[in-house]
This record gives sequence, structure tokens and C-alpha cells, in this order.
Amino acid sequence: MQTYKRKLETILKADQLCVHYDKHPVLWNVSLEIPKNQMVAIIGPNGAGKSTFVKAVLNLVEPFSGSVNFLEEGCSIAYVPQKESIDWTFPISAFEVVLMGRYGKLGYFKKPKEKDKLDAIKMLDVVGMKTLKDKQINQLSGGQKQRLFIARALMQDPDILFLDEPFTGIDMATEKLIIDVLKKLKDENKTIFIVHHDLRTLRHYFDWVILLNTYLVDSGPIDMVLTKENIEKTFGNTLSLFEEANILSTTHTKGL
Amino acid sequence: MSLLEFFLDPVLRAPTWGCMLMAISTSLMGVISFLKKRSLVGETISHSTYPGVVLGIIFFATFFPRFESMSIVFVLVFAFLSSVLSMKILNYIETRFHVKSDAGLCFILASFFGFGLLLASHAQFAFTNHYKKIQMYLYGQTATMHDVHILIYGLLTSLIVLLIYIFYRPLQLVLFDEGHAKSLNINVSKINKLFNYLLVLSLVVGIRSVGIVLASGMLIAPVIAARQYTDRLSLLFVLSAIFSAISAFLGNYLSVVMSIDSNRTLPSGPLIVLVSASIAFLSLLFAPKNGLIFRLARISEFKRRCLQENILKYIWKTNGREVGHSSIKDFFHLNSVSLKYTLLQMKRKKHIYNSNGSYRLTKRGEQIASNIVRLHRLWELYLASHLGMSIERVHPNAEEMEHILTPEIEQKLVSILNNPKKDPHKQPIP
Repeated sequence: MQTYKRKLETILKADQLCVHYDKHPVLWNVSLEIPKNQMVAIIGPNGAGKSTFVKAVLNLVEPFSGSVNFLEEGCSIAYVPQKESIDWTFPISAFEVVLMGRYGKLGYFKKPKEKDKLDAIKMLDVVGMKTLKDKQINQLSGGQKQRLFIARALMQDPDILFLDEPFTGIDMATEKLIIDVLKKLKDENKTIFIVHHDLRTLRHYFDWVILLNTYLVDSGPIDMVLTKENIEKTFGNTLSLFEEANILSTTHTKGL
Repeated sequence: MSLLEFFLDPVLRAPTWGCMLMAISTSLMGVISFLKKRSLVGETISHSTYPGVVLGIIFFATFFPRFESMSIVFVLVFAFLSSVLSMKILNYIETRFHVKSDAGLCFILASFFGFGLLLASHAQFAFTNHYKKIQMYLYGQTATMHDVHILIYGLLTSLIVLLIYIFYRPLQLVLFDEGHAKSLNINVSKINKLFNYLLVLSLVVGIRSVGIVLASGMLIAPVIAARQYTDRLSLLFVLSAIFSAISAFLGNYLSVVMSIDSNRTLPSGPLIVLVSASIAFLSLLFAPKNGLIFRLARISEFKRRCLQENILKYIWKTNGREVGHSSIKDFFHLNSVSLKYTLLQMKRKKHIYNSNGSYRLTKRGEQIASNIVRLHRLWELYLASHLGMSIERVHPNAEEMEHILTPEIEQKLVSILNNPKKDPHKQPIP
């Protein structure tokens, strides 16, 4: 209660954000403000638009209407995608993937320097994968793949970090290692957003929570927002009617 | 004819260099298509050049009939425009009408190639003298290449190599993870556009020597071969270029030599594509790491080791009783020949020795056997106590794992199981 009242500096602001895929709303009228230096969970059922929200924030998808913006000028952002979206057979070593985190700063033409390479090895060491640096990425285990992408994100030295379901299909030890790394980042005054699905660990890991189910159910400090009613609203089936009507409306407007 | 002559002789050198340059540029772009999983695009692009080729020749015949050697320039420009147009239409029907990419590719290929054939049949009557030239682009012809082709292909190929070199890192980013590239403020759509144009360019370069029908054959085969040998993108580019250059040289060489032998002209295009396909096929079979042959060899080596270890374990468990040839044979359901061979090998390794028709373990053999049993029982205990598997079900899995577990895993097992002395079946762990 008290943390909420204390004046917190807002870093991310969404204003009536709507995102459509094929005229089908995935996010609907989301307005929220997120303060700086928090561990933020984005939760909701499958197809609730969690990943879409992250992509809209990162400018990877175009909003249909409304806006979402960072309020701090020139803050750097890193993104750890879902494991499934990566082609793991790609001819690349773990070390090279991590080094890629620097390519943004290097621009199109500059070569990575010795320091960048040393940093890449350091980041691999932070996630406990120094010895695996020359492995082709498909030879890594599920947890190692996840840690690899966190090392790549660390390499970008971001102020804000987005992770899309980093804890799916990995063991508890890796989950703990990742959370420790992220908590250390938070102590360094960074803001971390995680698309999450495990309600049991929610209270241990996070300060702030965004409950999404196409529309915004609620957003706020975890102690205030994570109530039984809200969870029911988020994961309950109230949305199916909305969705059904929407499909009908699309078929009508498209003339199908 | 010496091989060197193919590079220097005024008549032979143009086809040799022309083919090799075209092969290098197509194979480099092939790496990109392959990694984008858009291997079929090349097929559509090369076929879509046909209307452009015909129009280019008609245009040249109508307006500049005296500059014979420059006809290639018109052909290249028109072919390029024609393919770019096909890609624009493809993009339009994919995004606007949500036609699936493979369906769109087939549709565009057929439409453009069909239109080209129609134009060609018109040209057959209106520009009879030049019809042969149009046909030549369909299947490719290297014998009639001149030094001017070397110059043009040399320039185009250098352009492609240079751009890949300059944009290597952004390209790698975009190919690997577009979302990440975007979040690093790399202009993904510009990079994609640039390399799409280069892909069209490389195929346009290819149609003169390999022909419209087979030009895309040079796109993917070299990279498939190269992928068997390396896990690095930079090496993948280099190896693809080398394989394709070798194919181009050999294809062209075979075409010349076989044509002289048989007094018939054998087209070089199909030969180049076939050589390159053979290299790809042989690589799939023989590459040291991923090749089928070596993998089969490693699998049978592993099976042999399992059998030997199982025999050691069998003798160890009999605890000094007589173990004859026949009892091993019955237990493992082996035929006599392979058993004799296996036992002979084990004797050579000094794991077992024969005393009065009974097999016994040497010191070394005993060590190995007890270690196998140890790993087996540790694994059973781990499955039962940590993964909650029922005791009856742990045995078959452990039968396999005992041959696989490394000393590091063994150490980890010992530490999480607190250095146990008994397995779930109450058997001692040696």
C-alpha cells in the first residue's frame, strides 16, 4: 500500500493501445503506467496478447490505434524472445550470438573490438556458460539456450529488459540462476518486464504485475493487484463471448 | 588440353571464367536463401526472367542490330526488370490477398514463364534470326561466351561479394533473429530489400551459362554441401563459393571434353548442375561430422562397445563360475562368428583371457565391468529416488545409460545421492 503511494517515476506509458492482427483485436484499449526500477510480470491466458504487448512496446508490431511510449529519452532496451521463435540450426556459435548484442552499438560497419569480445565471454560467464562458448547453438540444452539469450541481452547493457516466457521448459536450478541475474540488474536501477505464466512463483519474483486478457484487467503493485477476483477475471472464461462477437463482426465487415 | 588452358586459352577461357563467376555469385546468394528458408524463390525468379530475356533480344534486334556483342547487356537489364516485377507481384498477392508463399511462387512462376513462351513463339516468326539466341538462354550455352561476358560477370560477382562483406554483420543479425535486429535499430526491411535485389541479380547472371530452367539449381546445392562441413556462417559462404566454383569448372570441362569425344554438343548447364548436385549428395554421405556413412560407423562402434561391456558385465556377475563360449552365445543370442570376433577383440584389449575353455576377466576387465554395474545402479537409484519412477521400471533405462554416463555425470550423481551404497533393488553399488 505504502509503495504505491510513494511517488514513483514512470518509465513506460500506454494510452488506449489497440493492436490488431488481420482486423482481429489482440490487444484492446490498454492504458497503463509502469514505474521505473521494478520487476514487472505480464500474465494472462494463452492468446491474451502478452507477447503482442511486448512487441508493441518494442515497435515490432504497429498499433492499430493508441500509443505506447517510454518516458525517458534515449534509454536502451533489450529483448529476449521466446525460444520457439529462433532457428536453432542456424550456423552460429554461442559466443557469436552473445557478441551480436553489441552490433546495435557498433552500427552497420564497425567491427567488434577486443573489448567487445572479452565482454561477450564475461557475459557468458555471468550465466555460467563460459565453457560452452564455441558450441553450435543447437547443441545446448533448453536451459542453456535461454541463458544464452539472456547473456546476449546483458551484452546490450540495457536500461529496460523484456523477456518473453524465459522459464518455459527449463529446470529449477536454471530458473533460479536467471532470477538471481535479473534481481542483480534490478539492483542496478534497471526495469525488467517478464511474460510469465507460473502463478505460484509470482509473489517471490515480482514487484509489479500487469494482468492481461486482450483488455487490461489490472496493473499495479503485486500486493494490491493480485487478488482472487482479478485472477478469475484474467483466467476465467468471460472473454469467449467477446471473441465470438468479434469473429462475427469481422466476417460481416469483410463481406465473407 | 591441359587444365591451365581452360583458364588462359582465348576460346576456352570465357566459358570457364564465366561459369565460375556466375556459380560463385549464385551460391553466395543461395546461402542467404537457404538460411531464410526461402529456397524456392530462386526457381521463380529465374523463370520470371524469360519474358525479359525475349523482350531484351527483340529490343536489341529492333533498335541496335549492329552491336552484336552488346546484346547481353539488354538481356541482363530486361531480365532483371522482369524478375523484380515478378517479386513485386508476389509480395503484393502475399500481403494483400494472404496467398500462401508456396502457392504464390508457383502461380507467379507459371504466369511469367508462360508469358515468356508466348513472346518467344511470336519472336520465332517476327525475328527468326534471333530466335536461336532466345532458345540459348532457356538451357544455357557457354561455348559462345566472349571476354565481354567475363568482364560483366566479374563486375556483378565482385559487387555481390563486396556487399556481402560490407554488410556481413547486419546480414547475420537479420538472418538469425529479425526481431532482435529491429530492436538494435537495424533497418531490417532495407537489408532484406538489398539482398533480394542481389538475389535477382545473381540469377540473372546465371541464366546465360546454366540457363533459365536450371539457374536456381546452383543456388541451393552448394550450400547444402557446405553446411555438412561447418557450423560457421562465414565459412559457409566461403565453402559454398568454393564448391560452386569447382562444379562450374568441372561441368564446363566435362562439356567441352565430352563434346569433342562424341562429336555432339553437350550443354554445360545441366552438367554443372549435376556436378554440383553430386558434390552435395556425396557430402551428405561422407562429411566427417554429419555424413551418413560416418554416422553409421559411429553407431555401429557404439553398439559394439555396448556389447563388449555387456559381456564383461555378464562374466563379472557370474562371480568366478565357468563362463564358456556357448553360455555367452545363448545369453546374448549371437551367431558364432560375430561372437568369436568380439571375444577376440576383447582378448586383444586384454579385458578377458581364456583359461581351459572358460573366459575370465583380467584386472582391467574387472575394473570396467564393476564401473558399468556401478553406473547402472547409481542411475537406477537416481530414477527411483529423484524422478519418482517405480522400481520395476528403472532397469531398462539404466541398461542403456550405463554405457553413456560420463565421469562428470557420475560425480554429480554421487553428490546428489550422497554417495550411496545400495541401489533400489537392495544390491550393493560397487
